[in-house]
Amino acid sequence: MAERTGVVGEGARRVWKYQRVVWWFFLINLLLAWVASVPLKVRLTKVTAHSLNAKRLVNGFDFGAYSELTDNPDVAYDARLPESGVAVLVYFIFALFLTGGVLEAYAADRKLRIGEFFQACGAFFWRWVRLLIVMLIVLVPLAFLSHVLLHGSGRLMLNSVNEKTGYWAALGAFVLSTILAMMIRLWFDMAQVRTVVDDEHGMIRSAIRSFKFTFANLGSLFWLYFRISVLAWIGLAVGLWLWAHIPGQHSGLSFLVLEIVLLWWIGTRLWQRASETVWYLRQEAGEIAVARSEAIEPAPVGPTTSPLPTN
Amino acid sequence: MRGFRPSCLIWISLAAGLSGATAQVGASIATNSPKPLSERVVAYEIEARLDAQKKTIDGNETLTYRNLTGKPQDTFPFHLYQNAFQPKSTFMQEERVHRQSFKWEDKYRASAEMKSLEVVGVGDLTSKIHFISPDDGNPDDRTVFEVKLPKPVAPGDSVQFKIQFHDQLGEVFARTGYKNDFIMGAQWFPKIGVWWQGAWNCHQFHANTEFFADFGTFDVRLTVPQNEVVGASGVEVSNISNPNGTNTLTFHGEDIHDFAWTASPRFREFTDTFNSSMGPVRIRLLIQPEHVSQADRHLRITKQTMDRFDRWYGPYPYKQITVVDPPTNGFRAGGMEYPTLITGDTTWWMPNGWHVVEEAVEHEFGHQYWYGMVASNEFEDAWLDEGINSYTECKILDDIFGTDRSSLDLWGITESDDEQQRNGYLEVADRDPMARFAYQYLNFNSYGGITYGKTATVLLTLEKIIGEATVRRALQTYFMRYRFTHPTKEDFLKTLEEVSGRNLRWYFDQAVYGTAILDYEILSATSDRLDWQEKNPPEAKRGETVYRTHVLVHRKGDFIFPVDVLVKFDNGESLRQRWDGRDRWVRYSYDKKARLESAEIDPESAVRLDKNFFSNSYVDKEDDRAARKLARYWTIAVQFLAQLAAWLV
Repeated sequence: MAERTGVVGEGARRVWKYQRVVWWFFLINLLLAWVASVPLKVRLTKVTAHSLNAKRLVNGFDFGAYSELTDNPDVAYDARLPESGVAVLVYFIFALFLTGGVLEAYAADRKLRIGEFFQACGAFFWRWVRLLIVMLIVLVPLAFLSHVLLHGSGRLMLNSVNEKTGYWAALGAFVLSTILAMMIRLWFDMAQVRTVVDDEHGMIRSAIRSFKFTFANLGSLFWLYFRISVLAWIGLAVGLWLWAHIPGQHSGLSFLVLEIVLLWWIGTRLWQRASETVWYLRQEAGEIAVARSEAIEPAPVGPTTSPLPTN
Repeated sequence: MRGFRPSCLIWISLAAGLSGATAQVGASIATNSPKPLSERVVAYEIEARLDAQKKTIDGNETLTYRNLTGKPQDTFPFHLYQNAFQPKSTFMQEERVHRQSFKWEDKYRASAEMKSLEVVGVGDLTSKIHFISPDDGNPDDRTVFEVKLPKPVAPGDSVQFKIQFHDQLGEVFARTGYKNDFIMGAQWFPKIGVWWQGAWNCHQFHANTEFFADFGTFDVRLTVPQNEVVGASGVEVSNISNPNGTNTLTFHGEDIHDFAWTASPRFREFTDTFNSSMGPVRIRLLIQPEHVSQADRHLRITKQTMDRFDRWYGPYPYKQITVVDPPTNGFRAGGMEYPTLITGDTTWWMPNGWHVVEEAVEHEFGHQYWYGMVASNEFEDAWLDEGINSYTECKILDDIFGTDRSSLDLWGITESDDEQQRNGYLEVADRDPMARFAYQYLNFNSYGGITYGKTATVLLTLEKIIGEATVRRALQTYFMRYRFTHPTKEDFLKTLEEVSGRNLRWYFDQAVYGTAILDYEILSATSDRLDWQEKNPPEAKRGETVYRTHVLVHRKGDFIFPVDVLVKFDNGESLRQRWDGRDRWVRYSYDKKARLESAEIDPESAVRLDKNFFSNSYVDKEDDRAARKLARYWTIAVQFLAQLAAWLV
C-alpha cells in the first residue's frame, strides 16, 4: 500500500510516523537558543524589571526605547554574540551527528532502537564530515558567482537611469543563486542517502556517483525538493503575517507563532530527507523509471540492526 | 514628457536686457508681499547655458553689490564652491580625515573657472583675482577668491561685477552635480561673501559646512536642451523655444540669498496650491517616474507643513515652492534646501509607515524659515538652522502622526522623531559643544548628532523650563524679528530669555556652550519597617504598620538641572518633590503607614537630555515582561540562525 502513494506523500508518512525525530530537533534547537539567551535576559532584567520606562517595550515596540537599551553598557548586546554563536555551532554539530540515524530510520521504515539509532549516527558521522568538506569546496564557485552577480546588480542600482533595474537584477541574481544552491544541496542530500542505503565508505565516489544520477534525474528530484521548499516558505510567510498582526503586548503569542514556523521548517526539511530516501529506494527497486547510469547499482542489503527502538 | 534631442553649444542672445526685465517684473511676481522684504544687498543677473552631454555650464553673471557695510570697501571675496570637488581641496582632505575608507574617484571632479572679471567703471580685473584660504591656509583650496579694486566703493554706493565663468560639473558627491541625466545646479555661480559683524565672512567650503550669503534678487536665464524639465528657485517668468533644439527659461527670485536649479528629462510634474496667510502659494513637485505613486505623499506633507509653519511661526511670503525628487542613486543631491526649492529623499519601495518622505520634505521646507528667511551663518552657527529646524520637525511630525510614531509606524514597530533625534545626540553626547564652528567638529557623526540631535533635544527640554507654548512664541518672535537678516546665536538665546521673561543663562551655558552630560538616576528606593530593630515584631498589617521610606536620587552627570521626583505609595498617596540638582545626591525620607510603590524622576519624561531613561525610576514590584519579550526575540533569532546553519548538514 505504501508503494502506491507518491514519493512526497510517502516521505510525509515516514516523517509523521517517526515524528519523534522532528520533536528532538526542535527541542534541542530551542534548548540551545534558550541557554544562549539566559545571560542576556539576566542583564535585561537588571535594567528593566524595576523601571517604568520598560512599559514602552511591553505595550507595542518602541524602537527608540529599544535603541537606548542596546546602547546601555549594562546590557551589552554585542557581548552576547559569542554565546549565541556557540549555540548555533553546537546545533550544527548535533544535526550533523543525527543525520545518519535519521536517514537509517527513514530507509528502514521502522523505529530503530536507541542503540541502533546512535550506532548509525556514529557510523556515518565522519563520513558526513568528509562529505561536508567536499560540499563546501563545491559551494566556493557558487559563492563567487553570487558575489559577482550581486556586485553587478549593486553597480546597476548605483548607475542605471531606471531605479528598478538594479533591484530586478539583484532579485534575479538572488533567485539564480538560490536555485543553484538548492541543486547542490539536493546533490549532497542524495549522496548522503546513497551512503546510508548502500553503506558507501568512499565519500568522493559517493559524491561523483550521486552527481551523475541526480543531474540525470534532475527534473523529478528537483521538483520533489522544490515543492517542499515552497511549502516551507509559505509557512514562513503566513507565520510572519500572523506575527505582524499580533498586538505588541502579547509577546508570548508572538513567540508561539514563530516557534510553530520553526517547527514547520524543521519538519519540511526532514520531509525532504525522507522523500529523497523513498525516491532512491524506489528507483533501486525499479519502481521509478529513471535515467540509468553506471552510478545506479542494485542496492546491497541494508544494515540488519537499527539503532532506534520500535513501537 | 518631451522627446530627447541632442544638446548643442549655440548661444542664444536675447534682445531684452535683463535689468530692464527686473524693473518690469517688480516685487509682486515672486512674492505675495507688496514691498521688498529684505535689504537686497545683491542683485544677480545670470545667463547660463547647460551642455547636458559634457555636463558643463557656461555663464555670464552681472552682480550689483550695494555697499551697506558703513565703510569704504575695496576688497571683495567670492565663493567658488564647485572647486571643492578636487582631490587636494580642503573639503576632500577633511573627508579623508573623517572617513579613512574614503577613496577619491575622478568622476566626482568638478570645477568653477573664472574666465574673466570686470568691474563696471574700472575695467578688467581678471589678473587681480587671487585665491585665499582664510580657514586653514591650504594653498590647493580654490573655493574662495578675492579681488581688490583700485579705488574703494564708498558706503551706500554700488559696484557692478561682470563675470564670465565656466563650470564643469562632477557626478554628485555632495548636493551638486549630475547623476546620469539628472542635473542639480547648486552652488554653481560665483557668489560674493557676506559683510557680517564688522568683517567679511567668506569661509572655505568644508566637508561639514553649508552656506552663507546676502539677500537680494535673482534674474536667471537658463538655456537647456528642449527635452529637459527644469525646476528652479523663484518663479518662471518665460520659456522660449529656440530653433536649435534648446529652450531658454527665465526665472526671477526676490528676497532670497541663493539660486538653485535642477533639470532632468525624466521628471514628472504635479502641482497643488496652499493658501497661506499672505496669499496663494503654488507647490510644484518634480518627481521621478518610479516614485509617481508617492506624489500624493509629497504634496500632502508639504501642505501640512506649510499650514503649521504659517500658524505657529509666521507666513511663507513667496509665491512658489518647488519640491524636487532626485533619482535614488542621486541621493547625495537629496535632503537639501535652497530658497524656494527643496530636494526630498525616497525610493520606489518606501512603505507608508516609514516616514522618510515626510521627514525629508518637512525638514527641508522648514529650512525655508530657518536658513531661507532667518539666514543665520551656517559655517559658524550650524545649529541655528539645522537644530531649530530639527526641533520644529519633531513638533510638526508629532502633531501630524502622533508623538510616539512620528518617525516610524510599521508592523507594530513605532519610533518618535524626538527619540530619533535624542538617540542621535546620545551617541556623540560628550564630543563637541553646539556653539562650535561647523568645520571644527570632531567628525561627521559628531556634527550631525550635535547640530541636529542635541539642539532639538535641548529645545525639547527647554519646554520643561518655560513651557511648550512659550518656546513656540519665542520661535515665532525670533522668526518675525530676524527674518531676512543674519542673526547670531546670542540673538536667538536672548529672544528666548526675553519672551520667557526668565534668565536662562545657567541652561545655555551648559547646553549650548558646554558638553556636560545630563544623567539622573534613582540610586535606591526602599521601605523599611520602623520597628525593624524589635526582636519579635508583630505581623505587618496593611494600613497599620508604619514604614520609613527612603528615596535616594543621584546626579550622575555633570549637567545641573532641576528635576521633579514623584514618589507613590501603595495606599494611593503620591508626593512630588522638586530638587535643584546642585548637589550630587539627595535623600527623601517618609514615615507612613504604607510602603513604597514607585519613585520616578521627571515623570513626564520632559527632560529629554537625560542620558538614560531606564534609570530614572524604580518600581518596587518586579516586572520582567520587557526582558522576557526581548529575550524571546533573541531566542527566536538564534533558533532560525541555527536552523539556517543546519542547511549545510
